[in-house]
Amino acid sequence: MPEIIAAPSVRALARERGIDLEALARDLGRTTIAREDLGGTPSAGTGDGAVAGGQASYWDVDHARYGPVTEEKLSRFAQVAAANLGAANALIPQVTHHDRADVTAIEALRAELREEARQRGVRLTALAFHVKALARALRDFPRFNASLGADGRTLVLKDYVHIGIAVDTPHGLMVPVIRDADRKGLWQIAGEIADLARRAQARKIGPEEMGGASITISNLGGIGGTGFTPIVNPPEVAILGITRTETVTVWQDGAPRPLAMVPLDLSYDHRVVNGADAARFLAHLAGLLAEPRRLLV
Amino acid sequence: MAAKHADLIVLGAGPGGYACAFRAADLGRRVVLVDPRATLGGVCLNEGCIPSKALLHAAEILREARHGEAWGLRFGEATVDLDRLRARKDGIVGQLVGGLGALARRRKVEVVRGTATFTGPDTLDIDSAAWRFDQAVIAVGSSPVRLPGWPEDDRIWDSAAALELRSLPERLAIVGGGIIGLEMATVYAALGSAVTVIELAGQIAPGADAEAVGILHVALEAEGVTIHTDTRVSTVKATKAALTLACEGAFSGRIEADAIIQAVGRAANGGLVAADRAGVEVTDRGTVPIDRACRTANPAVFAIGDVTGGPMLAHRATHQGHVAAEAACGHAAALDTGLIPSVAYTSPELAWVGLTAAEAALKGVAHEVASFPWAASGRNLSSGGGEGLSRLVYCPDTNRLLGATLVGRNAGELIAECALAMEMGATLEDIALTVHAHPTLSETIAFAAERALGTLTDL
Repeated sequence: MPEIIAAPSVRALARERGIDLEALARDLGRTTIAREDLGGTPSAGTGDGAVAGGQASYWDVDHARYGPVTEEKLSRFAQVAAANLGAANALIPQVTHHDRADVTAIEALRAELREEARQRGVRLTALAFHVKALARALRDFPRFNASLGADGRTLVLKDYVHIGIAVDTPHGLMVPVIRDADRKGLWQIAGEIADLARRAQARKIGPEEMGGASITISNLGGIGGTGFTPIVNPPEVAILGITRTETVTVWQDGAPRPLAMVPLDLSYDHRVVNGADAARFLAHLAGLLAEPRRLLV
Repeated sequence: MAAKHADLIVLGAGPGGYACAFRAADLGRRVVLVDPRATLGGVCLNEGCIPSKALLHAAEILREARHGEAWGLRFGEATVDLDRLRARKDGIVGQLVGGLGALARRRKVEVVRGTATFTGPDTLDIDSAAWRFDQAVIAVGSSPVRLPGWPEDDRIWDSAAALELRSLPERLAIVGGGIIGLEMATVYAALGSAVTVIELAGQIAPGADAEAVGILHVALEAEGVTIHTDTRVSTVKATKAALTLACEGAFSGRIEADAIIQAVGRAANGGLVAADRAGVEVTDRGTVPIDRACRTANPAVFAIGDVTGGPMLAHRATHQGHVAAEAACGHAAALDTGLIPSVAYTSPELAWVGLTAAEAALKGVAHEVASFPWAASGRNLSSGGGEGLSRLVYCPDTNRLLGATLVGRNAGELIAECALAMEMGATLEDIALTVHAHPTLSETIAFAAERALGTLTDL
């Protein structure tokens, strides 16, 4: 009789993952091994810092052997975020599609409206245009405004458009949500972004202001970069990354012309969205950004 | 002529071979399945498990009809139409092997009729056609052992011949009291032969729990079967009038018979495929040594089923077939259990899995035994069952189940619960606290567990 008690399914999973059950039992100080002991199960709770995908024991080194180190306790918030990001990255087959959009017209419009913005006391940022254009694109491509059912057999299509905005704060990443962005005007969106960002910095965002987004925007345009691969924020099926607008030379009608172009990076859940759809979606979004008048019609 | 090529060639289409071929096809491989028979299914379907169960069912009807007298039911004298019985059995076999053919076609498994012999580490001949393979699985099974020094006589049958139901001998001697011999005794005794079973070991069904076997022994004798244990057949003489077996040992004397069934075991067929040319080791017993993933000494060649040794049982072969297919496709598969249930489909049935008390004692494993007699089972008595026993072997420290032996009606079905319990590491408490329906035979397993725990109220 085996000394280790483990169900056939547990033994099979351990074999697949190359986990030595006897060694694991020794480490755990018991003879019975359950599925949860193997780690990385999709249903295993979030927030315990467990690494999705199993064996990470080779990471567990004594860093002080190599030089002086200090330890900083991770906040509960950071631990939860880490576990969620780890799970999202491990469990979702995601692809990032890259494109860029001509924002000359948006920049011209912002310059035109600068005086009115000052009077209204609202900063009309480029991000507000991105939110508005993205909301419109989601209405035009409903499969990007969807979530995969927990059983993997159904797709939930949403008849609302809420846009999450990833905000970098001193205590970690927060994602407040602009509700019904497709039904709001640019001034209102710009005002809400500013308000949410300010309160996020002060950690004064309620939990009801953070869930339920259709899609998330991660905007690094104010910092820099030419592109990155954001991680999909489940249960959403896509996330839009934005980096710094740059002036590029484009040949038009046989002559070089400088254009302000913003890089766009769309990571998407490949179980729901295929590459061609992602390319069409991002091209459509770039078109809306290039001609903001189209947002009116 | 250029050799044909196959991803994976499976040699032998028995329950191990076809399971392996189908699993590999389901995993996306192009599979060729080779067998000399015209039909798939190997010994199990064509001349083993399935036809014997059909005949055992007929025997059961005859027995039940005879026992009807005690229930006030009289059917008159039963007559047996051997031709129709044989046709019925063959029809069932035909239906099943036909179904297998359809399953193979659905998976696009290429079935080639012929005999495969290796010609090199990645080549073999099917009859005279040369093939090249990426991987191969040896699933060529086993054959009945023929005792040396016996005369050539068509009244001397092996199990396959016995299942052909050629005739109904008046006097039938069965040499070998293992599972196959006892099932044949059950069939032919019910059909009307005077059956004598001669077994070399001290008990019939050697290896099974002695107390449970005792119940089967008495039941077989009550059906008119004569049993000689501790007895060796020294010579067999064939004359026109009869076959004469000279016996020595606990029974010493002559037995006259009109037919003899040799059921002294099966020998692995590893010697038949020129495995050495593929760099695959074959022992002098004809078995192919394998590791837990069913790999042979040649990493591209696997072996499964009877050809890998005992226990020579179809369900072990099937599981090995899946393991070999998955391992061949790069999965981390292994057969990591020794819990292979054994079933004798006699009347009553005898089934066991895991350790018997005697094995535990021999291996020095701390153990206790708890039994529940079926004479106290309402379901058993009210369905005409006779003596029976559910016997659990368990570890006294942990109360974990180590083995189980069941004898009685449907024991072969009931043993699955014990196998599952052991695979899951269940304790007596787990079994006793699982609600079993009443009245059922399955209750007797829970009752045995309760008896060990001191919570039984049915005795």
